[in-house]
Amino acid sequence: MRKPTHKKDVIIVGTGIAGSLIAKLLTDHVYSVNGKKFIHRTAANLRFKEILAEIDFESVKKLEHLPASASYQNEINNSKDRTHKEIDAQAAKKNIDPKTLENRIGLELFKTYFFLEFYHEISILMYEAGLEAGVELDSVSSMTNYTEYMRTFYTQEAKVPNSPYPNLKQAPSPNVLDVAQITPPFPDKKGYLVQFGPMAFASDAIRVGGGTTLHWLGTTPRMLPNDFRLTEKYGIEINKPDSSDKSPINWPIDYDTLKPYYEMAEFEIGVSGDVSKQEYPIDESMEEYYGNYVFPMEEIPQSYMDNQIIKGLKDTSVKLNFEEIQLLLVPSPQGRNSAPNLRYGNTKVIRAKYKKPGYSLVLDDSEKEEYKALGSIWNPYMGERCEGNASCVPICPVQAKYNALKTLKKALYKINENDNLKRNPHIEIKAQSVVYRLSVDQKRISKVHLRRYTSKEKTDFIEEFIDTSDSIVILAANAFENPKILLNSKYMVTENGRQVEKTVANNSDQVGRNLMDHMVMLTWGLFPEPVYSYRGPGSTTNISSFRDGKFRSEFSAWISPLDNWGWSWPAFSPGSDLSEFLGQGLFGTDLKEALTYRLSRQVLFHFEIEQLPNPNNRVTINNQYMDALGIPRPVVHYELTDYEKKAMEQAKLASDQMFERLGIQDFTKYNATDPNTTVYNNVRYSYNGAGHIVGTHRMGSSPDDSVTDSYCKSWDHPNLYIVGAGNMTTLGTSNPTLTLSAFTIRSVESILTDLEAHF
Amino acid sequence: MIITNKILNVDDYYFDVFMSISQALTGFTVNELQSTGLTETYYTYILGNLDAGTFVEFLTVSKNVLEKSFTEDQLKNAIVSEIVMNPGMSDIADKVITLWYLGTWEGAYINDLSYQEGLVWNVMNAHPPGAKQPGYKSWAVEPVNSNS
Ligand SMILES: Cc1cc2nc3c(=O)[nH]c(=O)nc-3n(C[C@H](O)[C@H](O)[C@H](O)COP(=O)(O)OP(=O)(O)OC[C@H]3O[C@@H](n4cnc5c(N)ncnc54)[C@H](O)[C@@H]3O)c2cc1C
Ligand code: SF4
Repeated sequence: MRKPTHKKDVIIVGTGIAGSLIAKLLTDHVYSVNGKKFIHRTAANLRFKEILAEIDFESVKKLEHLPASASYQNEINNSKDRTHKEIDAQAAKKNIDPKTLENRIGLELFKTYFFLEFYHEISILMYEAGLEAGVELDSVSSMTNYTEYMRTFYTQEAKVPNSPYPNLKQAPSPNVLDVAQITPPFPDKKGYLVQFGPMAFASDAIRVGGGTTLHWLGTTPRMLPNDFRLTEKYGIEINKPDSSDKSPINWPIDYDTLKPYYEMAEFEIGVSGDVSKQEYPIDESMEEYYGNYVFPMEEIPQSYMDNQIIKGLKDTSVKLNFEEIQLLLVPSPQGRNSAPNLRYGNTKVIRAKYKKPGYSLVLDDSEKEEYKALGSIWNPYMGERCEGNASCVPICPVQAKYNALKTLKKALYKINENDNLKRNPHIEIKAQSVVYRLSVDQKRISKVHLRRYTSKEKTDFIEEFIDTSDSIVILAANAFENPKILLNSKYMVTENGRQVEKTVANNSDQVGRNLMDHMVMLTWGLFPEPVYSYRGPGSTTNISSFRDGKFRSEFSAWISPLDNWGWSWPAFSPGSDLSEFLGQGLFGTDLKEALTYRLSRQVLFHFEIEQLPNPNNRVTINNQYMDALGIPRPVVHYELTDYEKKAMEQAKLASDQMFERLGIQDFTKYNATDPNTTVYNNVRYSYNGAGHIVGTHRMGSSPDDSVTDSYCKSWDHPNLYIVGAGNMTTLGTSNPTLTLSAFTIRSVESILTDLEAHF
Repeated sequence: MIITNKILNVDDYYFDVFMSISQALTGFTVNELQSTGLTETYYTYILGNLDAGTFVEFLTVSKNVLEKSFTEDQLKNAIVSEIVMNPGMSDIADKVITLWYLGTWEGAYINDLSYQEGLVWNVMNAHPPGAKQPGYKSWAVEPVNSNS
């Protein structure tokens, strides 16, 4: 076993959007020694320029003049190393006297050192299970790596979410290709997940640098106010673990609390959309919901297909069992680049404001520059706009779609006082490092244990740990991995004079429970005229009418995105159409015409159905099921209740009425052999996963029934934060990433407060 | 089996037979097929992945079909009777059609270009996801790149 590494202020596990957001926001701040508080780097740089202006630099000529107090010795040594290398390289290149340069760079070093006299930097170490290549963010390496992803995507037969990315035996990922029906009593253990059922959990995630946002679709609606108060509004209660006692399911925060953080998340992701066109079935007015607000970028144009459907459905309604519901078709807000909205104003920074005691984050627009779209990580001028590649899931070739590598890069490269991008030496990422266990000492997380594999090919690994007793530990490894790591972390405590075994963060017995997803029920058919599907971003419009309503006391709410990808998801089109026609003996122009007719008319409706938290839907671990590094795999227990199944029935009812109104010939078919299928009121319904893995370390207002508080801080351990969609108390009908980003950003307020003790 | 050696050469007559029968089977002209940039790649790929005798037989049957058909109707009928109705031949014909339309042979892409050049995308007035992007806002209007 290796020696523990040098202590860090913060350890973050995972480089997905949750981990990257925290790394970026923390490293944007430095601790002011004089002011005794954290301030934003831009403010520190300004103040520092003033200080520098007062110094006589002629007297500070050489490196050796620097006083070297012990705490900065490391810093100076590192800088010296870099400085000397740079001096040699530049001197050789520019053919000038190294001495002249040494004086100049000596001065730079002095400034760095001097800065640290006034401002302390937060030091961060991130662990990433994926390959080293995935987190190399310099232009050349990131471009090469991404090109490799693209080539893999082109040649993969099944173009599923994970197809462009390395399929690692050392850090396997759940894959939709592994989802199959489960025959009790045997679990299905073909893929990474061990599925005990009775239903298979149908969603995947990817373990690469940047995490699952590399293959997400990028749809970013906010949650609705009522989503945060299902018990209060609709009287819904859920069972306590292993008991039939009921308990309410309220969030510890409400929509209004989260609203400013939604704006920060929309800024960071760079959301495109038109606030004035958003229409939802809510009690509040849209002015109350959004306020006086515009999205950072203008709306992404809706597809031609969307517009044909909108024309046919506008101002009509559908009848469910209960009530008549007006159809609202709205352009979806999304995390992909269009054109910056001039009314959004300047580029903003997310800045911590000191408020005794603690911090609040604000979106500050005092920067002079106009808001710019974030291009690709290897070249800011590429991917500034969506180009209609129509492959958002699983990969955007130009990175017009947001992914967490963009935020990660901002964490790693800071702007120095000369407005140049500079590698921040206080943040380090160790890849190929699979964290699998935490140790506890006196309630504090005292060690993070990991296995570092040495190459893509081999499964031998180096066992390592890091001492974290003085650090803050942040688990950001997603809603499967966070609970898995927690459940694998056992420790002993003395209770009433007896030694009792506990698992980390789990006094509430809620770790791993309440696993949720949106059940994606699909309906598909042929539009009477060509609508030219298969073009544009994955989805540009959604039907928002069923996102809230009185019916929620009886069955799930849902959102209905329209998909721009024909029948590719449910029917494997266009390949399946071709083989169907070949089977009929078609060839030549007949074949061509049949394909033209079929493929230009395909439409697909989604019904993304909300699942309620259910303590029996859960991730556990079991020593019988290990991965190649000897780390437990997530064992999943999962099923639907009538609350969700009834929503499928009602959604199909809505679909039938919409299809009839539009003259769509229904081709929807649910088979007994589908991987996830269920019969309700004697009718069969099948569904897929949405990739929305949620709920396994829920936040709440009491340590009795939740894992974290509203700042994602574990109730049980003073130096442990657990972040990601796993914190969500309920799912609502929004795709979860914007919401998880909002409360992850908010958690930084609490982390900064905790960090003060270090400085 | 003199032909076996001859068909290894993409300059020869049997390569033309391959292209002509591909035109008849796919409904795309030889020119359109050539514009995929993959004609020779496909021809040599089939040679390497199909029993040579079988491919030769397919080309010989195709040659006869093409030579005895003077009108479109005759060609169509000949293909139906000699190829589609002939169990040994129809399988190869389906494979060849799939190769042009999807870029795959027995489910696998020949290379990354074969995915991008699948004719199925032209037929639907779209483009292969992840490649040949049509540009911002193009999806909001009727397609202008009608290739069919
Ligand atoms: C196909 C698909 C489409 C989606 N579309 C949308 C959408 O349109 N809108 C939306 O809001 N959401 C969408 N989502 C969901 C979205 O992708 C996730 O909610 C989000 O990416 C989760 O972010 P995260 O940072 O919590 O986790 P992840 O992105 O999963 O990141 C976890 C990170 O931790 C690393 N890691 C994992 N285990 C370990 C370990 N043991 N040790 C060290 N590191 C580890 C991983 O490699 C990864 O870097 C979609 C998901 C899928 C699958
Ligand atoms: S449509 Fe294309 S360019 Fe636009 S986000 Fe999706 S993949 Fe990227």
